[in-house]
Amino acid sequence: MTFLARLLVTILGLLLPGVTLAQTPTTTGPNGEPATPAASVVLSEDDIAKLREGGYTAAFAWHEVYDWSSAVSRGAQDEFARLGIKVVAETNAGFDAARQTADVETVLTLKPSILISLPVDSEAGRATYGKVAAAGTRLVFIDNAASGLTQGTDFVTTVTSDRAVIGARTAEAMNDALGGAGNVGYIFHDANFQVTNQRDQAFAWNVKNRFPGLKIVAEAGMADPARIEDIANAMLTQHPEITGIYVPWTEPALGVLAVLRQLGRNDVKIVSIDLNEPAALDMAKGGAVTALIADEAYGIGVTAARAAALSLLGRKVDPLLVVGAGIVRKDNLAQGWRASLNADAPQSVLEALK
Amino acid sequence: MSFVVPSRAALQGLIVYAGFVMIFLFFALVLHDRGFLSAQNLTNIVLQTAPATVLAVGLVFVLASGEIDLSFGAAVALSAIVAASVMRAHSWPLGVAAGLATGIAVGLVNGVIVAYARLPSFLVTLATMGVIAGTAREISDLQSIPVTAEPFIAVFGGGTLFGIPSLFLWTLAALAVGHLVFRETRFGAHVLAVGDNPRAALVSGIRVARLRLTVLMVSGGCAGLAGLLYAGRLQAARYTLGESDLMTVIAAVIVGGTALNGGRGTIPGALVGSLMMGMLSNGLILMGLSVSWQMIIKGLIVLAAVAVSLREPNR
Repeated sequence: MTFLARLLVTILGLLLPGVTLAQTPTTTGPNGEPATPAASVVLSEDDIAKLREGGYTAAFAWHEVYDWSSAVSRGAQDEFARLGIKVVAETNAGFDAARQTADVETVLTLKPSILISLPVDSEAGRATYGKVAAAGTRLVFIDNAASGLTQGTDFVTTVTSDRAVIGARTAEAMNDALGGAGNVGYIFHDANFQVTNQRDQAFAWNVKNRFPGLKIVAEAGMADPARIEDIANAMLTQHPEITGIYVPWTEPALGVLAVLRQLGRNDVKIVSIDLNEPAALDMAKGGAVTALIADEAYGIGVTAARAAALSLLGRKVDPLLVVGAGIVRKDNLAQGWRASLNADAPQSVLEALK
Repeated sequence: MSFVVPSRAALQGLIVYAGFVMIFLFFALVLHDRGFLSAQNLTNIVLQTAPATVLAVGLVFVLASGEIDLSFGAAVALSAIVAASVMRAHSWPLGVAAGLATGIAVGLVNGVIVAYARLPSFLVTLATMGVIAGTAREISDLQSIPVTAEPFIAVFGGGTLFGIPSLFLWTLAALAVGHLVFRETRFGAHVLAVGDNPRAALVSGIRVARLRLTVLMVSGGCAGLAGLLYAGRLQAARYTLGESDLMTVIAAVIVGGTALNGGRGTIPGALVGSLMMGMLSNGLILMGLSVSWQMIIKGLIVLAAVAVSLREPNR
């Protein structure tokens, strides 16, 4: 950047309060790969016809099975059904890297044409996924790629949500929840995990740079979600002025919710990421959970299936494919749930909304 | 011609082998066209269960002596993390020594508290499990530690010796040593005697406290070795390693015919139990069942196997 350009940027920064010209958060892959919108992955009628004749098979090796991964799986399964690709196996590693390695080995016995997986431990990547490409199986990662593997040869692509968009939406939701002004407690995921790190940083960046009425008055790292209640308790004790708390995902948000109930703090709003039933139920009942940012989990599955299918047809696929995300509030909960997970919200939530 | 009528206990011991063969035949029949019987898949089952089998060897000694160790899963993670960290900073042989020493040290601490403070092993190892798991998290800072030392990976992970996978050789060694010590030495006999009736064992001159300390150290040592095998296989160490093995290994050992309350134990049975658990996971995945059904069916089969194994013979 030349001196003149820098000067111009500085002047613009002074003239436009609330607009910061520091680097805007972007979603990138582990090696800085740029993100490509998932919508760019398309299959023609010809492609579909070829795939249907191919007799292809697919398998899933999940890190853990829960609402979100089930929605991704459903998206991929529906798309595979449309493409005439048969799903032959599904595994759940229960967050155990050794179990996942064994699962992948077992699944390869079936020689699937496609394997879709979210690595429990990207460091164990080569040991877990090193033999997949050699077995002739096309590997698509969800959320984060295993380290030590090369995109394009060892695996097709990584499909994830646009973390920069999620961060922006989370900050917007916090601004709305606090009516444009308030003190925010910022709890971030204190681990080297790109997905949550980029989302957290994007939230903080957006709060600081786009919403002058919001002020982050307390920051706390959460390494172990099991300790979230201690963290929230300490944060609210030291900073009773907090009126909004950002929690990196919904599971620990439930812990924060428990602390708020215990302290009788009805004035504090929670904004978090991903949908789950207890958090949605609290939101439906007008509780502390005010907004949940939901990515298009079902769309991630559909995109992963399409990317793998394209690879089977010998087509090149971009290294990082991203889907969007939306804000789910009480007033759009039922629609938001469907848009993200392609399923109806749980009965308890729908009834609470009546 | 004379017939030897086997005792009911001996017959019960054979049930696990019969169950194993039945499950194997079932999968072989149902999955004959889905690769179950391929050499690669059968090798996979053996190699995937290698760390659990090593852990099972240690647990047989503990259970047969009437104690229990709930901390071995956490000790696996801590040993692997210590080994990987030392390996990264120094050399791989030092890492191996540190990993094994960590496991044995965990056993020593458990053993001293159980044997000399006379606290129940269930509560002691439940508590130390938390301490060890927390320590593993603390020293690894919740990060995975990559293992890059090629000789280590060859010896403890994906290498072979005369075409035989090293994981298999380690498992075989642990089984052979475990079986010999358990069946052929005075120590093995003492383990059973203490497990059967600790008071009588004490009266007959067996140093019960020292024996309890030793069996927990054996379990810790096996956890250390299992940690090394995991680190070699995954080429990384993580604080969650071994955690999910706790219930699997306890089930494998009991299914294999070792009594939960002491006095009875078998290393070959533990091997069969461990292989059965691995074969179940493998076969149910190959059958294409959903994750939920895999869990339900595996749980039911284990329940049935444990029910059969645990039924005490009439004395």
